[in-house]
Amino acid sequence: MRSSRINIFFLLLIPALLIGVGLVFYLPSSASAAALQQDATPTPDPLTIGNDVCLSCHELPGQTMQLDNDDVIDLTVYSNEFSASIHGKQGYACVQCHRTVGNYPHPAVTFANAREFAIEMNKACGTCHEPQVLLTQDSVHAQAFISGKREAAVCTDCHGSHNVEQWTDSETGELLQTARLRIPQTCANCHNDIYQKYSDSVHGAALYDENNTDVPTCIDCHGVHNIENPTTAAFRLASPQICAKCHTDSAIMQKYGLSTEVLDTYVADFHGTTVTVFEKQSPDAETNKPVCYDCHGIHDIKRTDNPTYGIHLQQNLLVRCQTCHPGATANFPTAWLSHYIPSTDNNALVYYVNLFYKFFIPGVLVPMALLVALDVGHTLYRKSRGKFGKHAAEEHVPEQPTIEAESAPAATPTESAQAQSPVQPTVEAKGTPETLPTDSTKAKIPEQVTPEEPPSPPPADTPPPAPSEEHKADEEASHE
Amino acid sequence: MSTVKKTKASRTTHVRTVRTFKRFTLGQRWEHAILFLCLTVLLLTGLPQKYRAATWSQAILATPERVELLQTIHHIAAIVLGVIVLYHLGIIIVQLSRRSLPGDMLPTWKDVQDAWHMLQHLLYIKKDKPKFGKYNFEQKVTYWFVFFAIGILGISGVITWFPEFFTRFLPGGVVPAAKLAHSTEAVTLAIFIFIWHFYHVHLERLNLSIFTGTLNEEDMTSYHQLEYKRILGKAEPGDKQE
Repeated sequence: MRSSRINIFFLLLIPALLIGVGLVFYLPSSASAAALQQDATPTPDPLTIGNDVCLSCHELPGQTMQLDNDDVIDLTVYSNEFSASIHGKQGYACVQCHRTVGNYPHPAVTFANAREFAIEMNKACGTCHEPQVLLTQDSVHAQAFISGKREAAVCTDCHGSHNVEQWTDSETGELLQTARLRIPQTCANCHNDIYQKYSDSVHGAALYDENNTDVPTCIDCHGVHNIENPTTAAFRLASPQICAKCHTDSAIMQKYGLSTEVLDTYVADFHGTTVTVFEKQSPDAETNKPVCYDCHGIHDIKRTDNPTYGIHLQQNLLVRCQTCHPGATANFPTAWLSHYIPSTDNNALVYYVNLFYKFFIPGVLVPMALLVALDVGHTLYRKSRGKFGKHAAEEHVPEQPTIEAESAPAATPTESAQAQSPVQPTVEAKGTPETLPTDSTKAKIPEQVTPEEPPSPPPADTPPPAPSEEHKADEEASHE
Repeated sequence: MSTVKKTKASRTTHVRTVRTFKRFTLGQRWEHAILFLCLTVLLLTGLPQKYRAATWSQAILATPERVELLQTIHHIAAIVLGVIVLYHLGIIIVQLSRRSLPGDMLPTWKDVQDAWHMLQHLLYIKKDKPKFGKYNFEQKVTYWFVFFAIGILGISGVITWFPEFFTRFLPGGVVPAAKLAHSTEAVTLAIFIFIWHFYHVHLERLNLSIFTGTLNEEDMTSYHQLEYKRILGKAEPGDKQE
């Protein structure tokens, strides 16, 4: 009996052990199952996973990921690099950009190559920086990207990724001076040839040799996020305004003794006037009229007094002129006023021509206009006196007595007409029988047959009276 | 010189006799007509180019094609005008060589006296008007003003047109100077024609003799008395002849 009790005890013990072991294994496995369920959906609340969690693995060197085309991506994150970045300084979490990685183990990623991976990662930037991302949609980089150039710059190509720098003042939003120095080098990542030209130019040399941040960097001409295609006709026509932004700013130009009239003088001269018209009226028009950079250079802008390239030297400018004027010779460049306002020192010939016309036009046209005005006044005066007629001057005006001449200017035309005309016809019609018939046939206006002083004989040098002329003409006609 | 036409003035039996005097040859009338046409075209195509800063001008010059078209028209009109100028000068040279240049248009001392006389008349100092020959001082001023203006315009225009050629032997400064002189002289000429010439041939009296070639007797006796007498051989000792 006793041995049977022991057997029953063991029989009960074995299932109990099995249950106990089962419980021991059951509890942890239920916890890991819950974690796996979380992996299936995107990270629900990014901030729940601290950067230290990520860095616990990703700070270890030598972590890589191989993509479909055997591109190898370095997955190591240097915590000091990130914490020095603007995102690190402000305490942003890894998972705010890396939104799809979730917890460990991360879901598998498949990208054709490293570039596609970078492009995909850049989609995260718009979450916080939407206005800037929208601006880039209009840029020449975005156009190139759409047309299939996958290497066209995306956010991280310029700004970096884990090491993203602070480039603007957080309060004013203005570009930091340190950033100005970095910009050309950033663009040089892709546009190195242009960077080399720029760094040798008057602007680039000042930036790098003198740390002068007054000079333009790439973005001052090309824009920041919405970088325009600089090879279009529209960009070309509008380009003088880009240069003018600084070169008409007296605060900057004063420091370097440069003229702020370069735009006005350009617009006033033959090339600039035409470019300005097209810029306003047909901004997309193709024109061969030169803009600033056709003479001064695009990225390789030199000081105008540079002995080798400076276009203040005629032989250097001539080379530029000959681009469009193949027949140009040594004297030709001086046809351009060189941004000077004509004076006795510069372009004296133009100055004197201008001076001549300043006196000539009023000197000639004003007296002429005065003579015409006097003539009009005189005609109106005679008309009001009833002496206007085709023969008035010939017949009667010379015989006017001097008394009349003196009194006439004093009286206004209307006054004299009212005062004199009613009296005269009756008096004079009687006294002039020989002139009356011919005149009355020619004109029926009674005033026309009223010479003031009929008895006075015509002076010797006055023409013969009209009647005899008329008779002669009539005679000739009748002979035919 | 004088011709007589019998015209029926109206349906009445009245016969009116109009005697006309030849004033311009057919060649001169054509010269004037072409000159008039050319100057109009040159002015209309030149003004927008001069006033490029103005809105109305920019509306005309909107595209490079239009600017080129305007310039082409301007150049063609300039060539035609150049031909007329050469023809005019050629006739003068031929007449000079034959010693048959009429010389009516040459300025004389009498013109100065006439102008002074006219001024006194217009200021109500003298009652009578000066008596004129074939061309009065106003017409001479018109001719010579246009003559020299076209000279300046022609030279400056050609320099502006072919700057590469002219700077081979002239300093470059002549090009902007020519450009300035061209546009300024052109505007001066336009204003001159409008206030001086148009007044004298339209407003003062309608004088279409440059188109018809003749003046009637009334106008001859009123405005060109000395010429009238000279034609009729009735010049008197007191008349000042040119």
